[in-house]
Amino acid sequence: MKSILKEVHQPVEPKIHLNHPEPIQKFENKTDDEVWRAFDKGNELAFNYIYRIYVKVMFRYGSQVTKDGELIKDCIQNIFIGLRRKRGSLPEVKSIKGYLFKALQREIIRKLNLDKISNLKSEEIRERFFPISLSHESMIIQKENEVEKRMKVRNALNKLTSRQRQAILLLYEEGMSYKEIAETMEFNEVKSARKIIYRALATLKEILKG
Amino acid sequence: MKYIDYDILDFLSDEFFIHWVKNPDENTRHFWEKWMVEHPEKREVILEAITLVRSVKYANDEEMSDKMYLDTFESIINSGKDKYQNQTSLKILWPLYLRKVVAIFILGFCGWMGFYHVVVFENQPVETEIEEVLVYRSTSSGKKSVITFGDSSKVYLNAESAIQYPKDFSKGERWVKLTGEAFFDVKKNGQTFSVYTNDTEIKVLGTSFNVKEEDDELSVALVSGKVQINDQKGNQVRLQASEMVVMKKDGNLFKTGFDALEMTGWKDKVLVFKSDSFQECKEKLEKWFGVEVSLEGRLSSNWVYSGTYRDESLENVLRGIAITSGMKYRIKNRKAVLYK
Repeated sequence: MKSILKEVHQPVEPKIHLNHPEPIQKFENKTDDEVWRAFDKGNELAFNYIYRIYVKVMFRYGSQVTKDGELIKDCIQNIFIGLRRKRGSLPEVKSIKGYLFKALQREIIRKLNLDKISNLKSEEIRERFFPISLSHESMIIQKENEVEKRMKVRNALNKLTSRQRQAILLLYEEGMSYKEIAETMEFNEVKSARKIIYRALATLKEILKG
Repeated sequence: MKYIDYDILDFLSDEFFIHWVKNPDENTRHFWEKWMVEHPEKREVILEAITLVRSVKYANDEEMSDKMYLDTFESIINSGKDKYQNQTSLKILWPLYLRKVVAIFILGFCGWMGFYHVVVFENQPVETEIEEVLVYRSTSSGKKSVITFGDSSKVYLNAESAIQYPKDFSKGERWVKLTGEAFFDVKKNGQTFSVYTNDTEIKVLGTSFNVKEEDDELSVALVSGKVQINDQKGNQVRLQASEMVVMKKDGNLFKTGFDALEMTGWKDKVLVFKSDSFQECKEKLEKWFGVEVSLEGRLSSNWVYSGTYRDESLENVLRGIAITSGMKYRIKNRKAVLYK
């Protein structure tokens, strides 16, 4: 369609949303460490940047733990209010996303009083965290037997422990590295993140190879 | 271990591989595209791994509303009571009635998600016996059709196009597979609605947009709402209302504005020519009326035609084109000829 292409202004890079204001441009090529240190020093543009980039993904992440949107909002608010108060003495952060996710999950669990209710009940609730859905990929739809396979994979994924599902989602949905997963899930060693993924995938082995 | 010795689980847990699937950059693309060419025997395993990595999604698709996003920002800034108090109030942007509307929507959505969680999600493990029965609908040239789904979402299917969708569409996941061109009017019900073309996924909640797939490009024009598009090369594009993206087969893409009548008029039976060459006019007429169009004699190389026809017959359209360019026309046996 010639008439449409004539109006093209300029190519845009995928992954970059339009309407980015100034703070984004200023910080987008900086490392997490640099952005975080600027925030620690009281740089408001750095705060705006962190807020813009991470708040909506935090909310989405929180939604995998609780359906209560207002509660997630309160938790996000508390986290940032706390961080802003502590500016000047913030801990070192390698992955901002991992740090914020970790903080959010802790805050939600605190708000839900999961630490105060009986172990059994608390376990039961935690096991419902991080359900996985398996979206249709065009490649799959074309083959009839793939529909059944997809169902099997989805069921197998949802029979994993919630920690395993969390790790899988961080890896595939959030595109995190093992290092970031370890940070988010509070593992001391990156090795543990690899292990939990490999164990989770091993349960899919037969379905995938069949 | 080398990649050649990898099985599917090894690929599925390899950071460098996942990075390529999720966020391809120059390095990963360079390596993996070369590697795939070198190892065709591994192609099937790779494709299966790509599919799984891409398919795994959060089951809860709730997004933070813009209102909540702004409110939270404001609360954070104001609670500081420090030197950053000169922030102007963002609340001006949100009149009271709108807040109510948003609040009602969120409440409804949460309620629905609660229902989903209790009734639907709890039942998932025993869902294996459910067969997904697909429905296939297609149109030939000169024909269009409208399909209304159980959730009252509508699809206008242009000529020479086809869609496929699950039979109990409104109960389960909402998706259709499209070849050709269609206009979607999607009703919000909390669940995402996905449109798959050959190698691209378009995801929305509730919105209206036009999708057109041609030989070497795909265009998505968004009339209202928001859409997100993912292709198999790993590109991800989000559109705002009145934006359109043209994605080329080779992975290049452009964002642009569009003329709503030109792009989506067809669903309301409006045929639009806009500085079209003879070849473009011919293609549009053939698709629209299901006829064969030819030209006798020659037109000057810079000949173009613009015109808009609302529910007009082939004869009237041909007459319009002929008059503005000093030509004559004849129609016989579904063949139309323009001549000097």
